[in-house]
Amino acid sequence: MAKTVQTPAARRPLKIYAFDPMLGRMPLNRITIDIQNEPLRRGPAGSRIAVVDYDGANDCFYEPVDLDDKAILMQGGLDPSESDPRFHQQMVYAVGMKVIENFERALGRKITFRGRKLRIFPHAFEGRNAFFDPSLQALLFGYFRADRDSPGPNLPGQPVFSCLSHDIIAHEMTHALVHRLRKYFFDRTNHDVGAFHEGFSDIVAIFQHFSFPDILRDRIQRTRGDLRKSDAFVELAAEFGYATGKGQALRSAIQAPDPRRYQTVFEAHDRGSILVAAVFEAFFTTYQRRIADLVRIATGGTGQLPAGDMHPDLVNRIAAEATRTAQSVLTMCIRAFEYLPPVDITFGDFLRALVTADYELAPLDEHGQRQAMIEAFRVRGIYPDHVSSLSEESVLYEAAGLEPLGKELVGHLALAEYVYGGAPAADDEGSEAAAPALESEEEKLPQIVASELRRYARKNAAALGLDAARVNQIHVQGFHPSFRVNSHGSLVMELVAQFTQRAEAGSTDLGGMEPRAGTTLIAGVDGTVRYAVTKPLPGKGVSEIFREVSRTRFDRHKAFVADSDLADAHLPWADAAYLQKRIGKLNLSSLHLGLQS
Amino acid sequence: MSREQARVRMYNVGFGDCFLLSWPGPDRTVKVLIDCGSHGHGAGPHKIEKIVERIVEDVRESDGTPRIDVVVGTHRHQDHVSGFDSPLWDEVEVTEVWMPWTEHPTDPEARRIRETQSRAARRLHAEASVASPVSVGRVVSAEESAKEEKLRDSLLALSANSLTNAQAMETLHHGFKGRPKRRFLPTGTLRRKSFETACLPGALVHVLGPSRDPDVIRDMNPPAGQSYLRMTEERESHGDGPWLPFRSSWKVTREEMERDHGHLMPSRDTDLRTIHNYGELDNDIRLDLAVQLEKGVNGTSLVLVFEVGRTCLLFPGDAQWGTWRVALEDPEWRNLLARTSFCKVGHHGSHNATPKDLLEKVLGEGFAAMVSTRPIANWPDIPRIPLLDRLAEKTGSRVVRSDSPPSEMPAGFRPRDETDLFFDLEIPL
Repeated sequence: MAKTVQTPAARRPLKIYAFDPMLGRMPLNRITIDIQNEPLRRGPAGSRIAVVDYDGANDCFYEPVDLDDKAILMQGGLDPSESDPRFHQQMVYAVGMKVIENFERALGRKITFRGRKLRIFPHAFEGRNAFFDPSLQALLFGYFRADRDSPGPNLPGQPVFSCLSHDIIAHEMTHALVHRLRKYFFDRTNHDVGAFHEGFSDIVAIFQHFSFPDILRDRIQRTRGDLRKSDAFVELAAEFGYATGKGQALRSAIQAPDPRRYQTVFEAHDRGSILVAAVFEAFFTTYQRRIADLVRIATGGTGQLPAGDMHPDLVNRIAAEATRTAQSVLTMCIRAFEYLPPVDITFGDFLRALVTADYELAPLDEHGQRQAMIEAFRVRGIYPDHVSSLSEESVLYEAAGLEPLGKELVGHLALAEYVYGGAPAADDEGSEAAAPALESEEEKLPQIVASELRRYARKNAAALGLDAARVNQIHVQGFHPSFRVNSHGSLVMELVAQFTQRAEAGSTDLGGMEPRAGTTLIAGVDGTVRYAVTKPLPGKGVSEIFREVSRTRFDRHKAFVADSDLADAHLPWADAAYLQKRIGKLNLSSLHLGLQS
Repeated sequence: MSREQARVRMYNVGFGDCFLLSWPGPDRTVKVLIDCGSHGHGAGPHKIEKIVERIVEDVRESDGTPRIDVVVGTHRHQDHVSGFDSPLWDEVEVTEVWMPWTEHPTDPEARRIRETQSRAARRLHAEASVASPVSVGRVVSAEESAKEEKLRDSLLALSANSLTNAQAMETLHHGFKGRPKRRFLPTGTLRRKSFETACLPGALVHVLGPSRDPDVIRDMNPPAGQSYLRMTEERESHGDGPWLPFRSSWKVTREEMERDHGHLMPSRDTDLRTIHNYGELDNDIRLDLAVQLEKGVNGTSLVLVFEVGRTCLLFPGDAQWGTWRVALEDPEWRNLLARTSFCKVGHHGSHNATPKDLLEKVLGEGFAAMVSTRPIANWPDIPRIPLLDRLAEKTGSRVVRSDSPPSEMPAGFRPRDETDLFFDLEIPL
């Protein structure tokens, strides 16, 4: 008799706290989210994430959960519990995987951490902090005791866990993924670097949270809250515990946009809030357009809802539109990463990338989401560098006038994708990649692609905005194929490659933060280079067309160092060693504690 | 001193500030004392007590009573107030005492700032005084050990400066003879804070800072410091020592983990130890907090311009970039500062107390300057030599350092007194 093979389920449902229990306990504070099903060992430990419940303060471990245990599977995961460490392990895994999934869906490819797993320590230390540590390749969450005198909604002295907040987990996970995609975004070369990391992580956390259908529906049903006003969303974000009480900053940044703030506010969280507010406003504007017809139907054109509860069908439809818009904005923001330069991120770069990414997906901009984004950035004084106007055509990246990539290169890349199913991108600056003994031609594919790309970059250095006088210093930072469905519904594959090049050794004092030139190149499957996102630096072999841009960029870096020095509390007490390395990389532990601006 | 001149006397206190400003009034000399203190780790050639004795003599009037019209305490750092910790002040008659608004006894914001700063300083100092226990299993090299010692020294020195000198503050708030009136500046809600006062005839006083701008206040009371306090005080109130956040039945030992869940154990030995060390507040973080605190107290500095006749005399205490940024945004202040004839250099010549914008774009040329400072081994960048060089250029070499005055004093400065107890500058009114 033939054995029937049961195919494993595609999705795994897991319960999490909908709202941070430390900010208030309410009945039914739970939602079930579903993530890709994968084989799990105890921990849980999957292919990308391993939860290690080590408590550094007590130097002990807590029992790792087995999410494949039948009893747990049957219930869709353990019930939310503050006192059961296994639920905490489940929650950080579930939310962490959800973020990875959102990135994969937006970027059209599988995300790995290059052979190593990202570890999550849900109870790593005693303290009011949580951060991503790149040297440990881990997310670390702290726990602490509720204040004796002002415990908030907790018992005085009871344990409070940062790992039970969806937003904190998603925020830290995003730091890890941004670092994975752009490791040089930890180099502080301008005021937007730290702010981008913080703002972008907040954006992912909030919009992922808004994208859970039950949350918004419940909210409207319970409170008859008018989701036509942005207040309701902002309050919801605050209730999520959005970044431990930054609600006020978000509220004013959304409701009273002031371009001067972008000129004068430099602290990473405050500046990041400007970015969050811009994206938030774009979301809200788009959402209002999407529900306009529903409201017209429901109110017979008056726009005034009748007194009493809203009809449940109307509630469902409005909530569904909000959720869909949130998911769409989230995807747009993550997708923008393909079009970001490898180094020296600014908010203006992000805007151009947002617009370009969205244009590729949906050229018609049916709900005006793209236009809303440009406008929301504009009223906050965020303009991309070197564009002639804020019309969409100008903000989009231009088609690059570059030589096409060779047939062989494209072929090798497609083959690599076929073999690896999510090509492990190699880079030749010595970062760790699992390197098994390379035997067959297939296993050498990443190296082959890398070397062909290097050859291309050296040949076209000047056109790529790099210094042609020092081609040996051009590195292939990474490459991957990406997939998207175009506006006609066909699957399109593209090749994305990143190149970086150190700056020419110079005497300018930049506080120890070495600048780099970099270019992100996006090519079609026929080899045509579609976009080249350049960040040039001054140099002898730099093409004339990049002279002005590179000068501006370098000047901005110097100005950033001068501004940092003015605010640096350490400077009067500095010794020679400190002065040489005073502009360090972004340190998330210190940043979240408020010790690094 | 002729009718037409004001005099600025810089007392030689080492790493600290003590200035006596005087000018001829209608019937007697008007005197303003701005700060009197010295850093414990940066003593000058004369003990502060000796300086105080000299001040009392310098302000003694013909009827035998020492009198000062206004005593200014720019901010409560030890190196600006330690000298007030002396019984000699009981015999000095003072008409008014001026302090920044952050010293106001009942203003809630002021109290919050003061209390947080004070508690943070006490705690940091106490923690630095305890020799840090070496973490279990950490073998420390000689180099690391020396670095740690240096770190501790810096930490002690910095936090000590911010400790409240109760006796000195008592003098400023409640002491002196003659029941002086206390002013906490700037007062009121007027944007422009300039006033005249009967006890300073001939002078218009401008108060450029500290402001109540939220960013400035955040500098004075940074969130990191508040978190640190909350955390350490929490730990103390619950009794020190680790506590288990879960029931002990959930605990699993390392051996059990290796045996049953080996796939979760890190391949690098040091990873777990790194995490273990994160929870412990190490001296690096304490130093970060201490410099923030130092900057925070500097941020409360009273910034004054005395306009006497045609002359503008700038006394900014130790004000740093936050305060300057706000002040420089105001075009009226910029105009005033452009007319500076004398500048007391802020924060002993450090980088961000005399920001580039101020020096290059606002202050004119040819003014005179004085820097009350001395070098301290651990801190080679204070005073900042490039800054002093630039000052020399802008003033035409009319800048005098208290710790290394030139043998030939520049134009306007009196010849050196043989005791070098003070240096005098005379400015035409």
